[in-house]
Amino acid sequence: MNDKEKVPRKSTLRGFLGGRWVAIFLVLEIVFFMFKSQGFATVNSAQILLFYGTQVFLLAVAELFVVVTGGIDLSVGYILGFASIISIKIVDALVAAGLSVPASILAGTVATLVIGLVPGLVNGWLVAWLRVPPFIATFSMLGVCHGVSELVINGVYAMGMPQLAADIGNGNLLYKAPHLPFIFFRRPEVERGTPVLALIPNIVVAAAIVILIFAFVLRRTRFGRHLYAIGGSMDAAVRAGIPVRRRILQVYALSSFLASLAGVTYAFMYVSGKADAGASLLLDAIAAVMIGGASMFGGTGTVGRTMIGALVLAVLDLGLRMAGIATFDKYILVGAILVLAVIAARYLPEAQHPVSEDRK
Amino acid sequence: MADTASSTAAPVPSPLVRAAARNWSALFLILLFVAFGFAAPNFLSIQNIQSVVHLQTVPFLLAASETFVIITGGIDLSIGFVMGLCSVSAAEIVQLLAAKGLSGGTAVALASIAVLLLSLLPGLVNGVVITRFKVPPFIATLGMWGMANGLALKLCDGFPVAGLPDFLPRLGNGYLFYALPGNFVSLFDKPAGFPDARIRELWRLIPFSLPFIVAVLGFLAFRLSRTPFGRHTYAIGGSMDAAVRSGIDVDRHLVKVYVLSSFLAGVGGVFNVFQTGIGNYTTFNASYEFFAIAAVVIGGASLSGGKGRIFGSAVGVLVLAFLENGLDISGVQPFYRYIAVGVLLVVAVVIDKLFPDLL
Repeated sequence: MNDKEKVPRKSTLRGFLGGRWVAIFLVLEIVFFMFKSQGFATVNSAQILLFYGTQVFLLAVAELFVVVTGGIDLSVGYILGFASIISIKIVDALVAAGLSVPASILAGTVATLVIGLVPGLVNGWLVAWLRVPPFIATFSMLGVCHGVSELVINGVYAMGMPQLAADIGNGNLLYKAPHLPFIFFRRPEVERGTPVLALIPNIVVAAAIVILIFAFVLRRTRFGRHLYAIGGSMDAAVRAGIPVRRRILQVYALSSFLASLAGVTYAFMYVSGKADAGASLLLDAIAAVMIGGASMFGGTGTVGRTMIGALVLAVLDLGLRMAGIATFDKYILVGAILVLAVIAARYLPEAQHPVSEDRK
Repeated sequence: MADTASSTAAPVPSPLVRAAARNWSALFLILLFVAFGFAAPNFLSIQNIQSVVHLQTVPFLLAASETFVIITGGIDLSIGFVMGLCSVSAAEIVQLLAAKGLSGGTAVALASIAVLLLSLLPGLVNGVVITRFKVPPFIATLGMWGMANGLALKLCDGFPVAGLPDFLPRLGNGYLFYALPGNFVSLFDKPAGFPDARIRELWRLIPFSLPFIVAVLGFLAFRLSRTPFGRHTYAIGGSMDAAVRSGIDVDRHLVKVYVLSSFLAGVGGVFNVFQTGIGNYTTFNASYEFFAIAAVVIGGASLSGGKGRIFGSAVGVLVLAFLENGLDISGVQPFYRYIAVGVLLVVAVVIDKLFPDLL
């Protein structure tokens, strides 16, 4: 750290842009779409953006934890699909067994999250004990999750989530009808056609709480510091007495847990489960982490920056849709932004990392 | 090499064990043939084997490109979508030229050449981004993954490009010999006037794609194992530093490897047009690049570079293909294939770790 402070700043502009340019890019992007797309700058579209981005936000945090240790998790997308299916199957089975609906939903969710740890534990075991490269281990898990999911649903969507789950998944925290006070959780019963202001989707609140907890874990706990140390230098981490294998096992389990949570939110939102529900989200999740300035080689990255990276993608997606531009352009732009972001991170390095170590 | 270091470690395995470990995927392939031969009577028929191999032409090409890249210690995630982009653009160019009044044959020939030239571009971009801007290959080619996908979809507006000359699929799916047992043999096309309804009685032997792919893979295997180009590829993957110090222009070579990779994907794209008769964009679920990587790893390459053979990768492709085909025709749920691929990959890596000095 001291060495870094001795190095003179090359230029104040570069120093200013270093680490901040992604946020600046996000602001420019929002301003651009405010002019380009009708109705982009409204509370409603901000809520839509967060609502439909929930799964990507959760997957990006999952991916970030793995990337910080220098690994990669390709299985998160299909773990999401797997979790979306089994949560519905379990809830359905519990309701059929005569349990009350709220209890079934709660038990089904908990059971899914517990089962959702299994793919991650296997990944972690393969990576840490059998020394299988993360790319291969998690790619294998992608295949296994895909196969098992398809076997469970036998080629059709998983259905049968009770209406209550859909109400929670698509409901909002606050409702405001004219001449009535704010109401929590329940849409006020007013005449049809009366405009009711719905604020803050439940799912977004849940995801935000989870993401804040994990941001705290990564930034402030010893567990988080260990992950940066492992990503910075595996050898040094071993010599410093960090239980590297156990940490890697935990980090893949954590990633798989978050992916399962994303799968549960998917089941609540769309009331259906399918094997490839998260297949196309993998690119967005990895891109969000990289645009957020994390290095593929580990040791860097924060939850906050990853969220900014995810927002860059979410704004792009919604903005293009609202501007009526074909979504095909989105793939081109995401690809280009991804590469340019990594190049930019090289030429506009951050002044200081919150927790950083020199890499080899 | 390992003997000096391993005097205290486990005994050096016998040559037979080493040979088996090196070619475990080939042994597994034989096992598949025996198992499915019993499980499904049609599995071992010439028609089935031929058609499986024929349908793997594009995966063979993609696995070959991935072999070169993985030996250098890199990875190319873009080849699947570059393949689709080339397929779509070839079809579009054929349509364009045909609209200008060119004959079908000329239009197809010109379009193929144009697309093969164009297919160098994604690789050039990948290579330059990786070497000059030091972007990790995973990210650089993931970016190209998105760009190629978007471009392909934009070009074809999200629909396969149809309306091409109908000699294309006849050529792409043709066989060298056609025979009705005990009756006649004809070359290159089914006998004139032979009713389509009775086509199943014909013996069709050696699809055109077979000599083509054997020649391409043979040439690439030669390049990889017998020429300076191949030696440099292994050297870079073995140790980047050592390669630099021994005077190899590493950046230049890496650019060449990524260009070769996307060129082979371009060949795959053009072949795809011949095979299907339309220009296909690559769908998300196709996962061509992942299956190519899986084939290469099952074939004995290591993602950390320095290891891999074209022959091994080709065997890897066949293992995945016959596994799918065998499960399919013996009536097992096809989804088991995904699980099997996952298990095979882990087996491949574990064998790689157990015998680290196999090349």
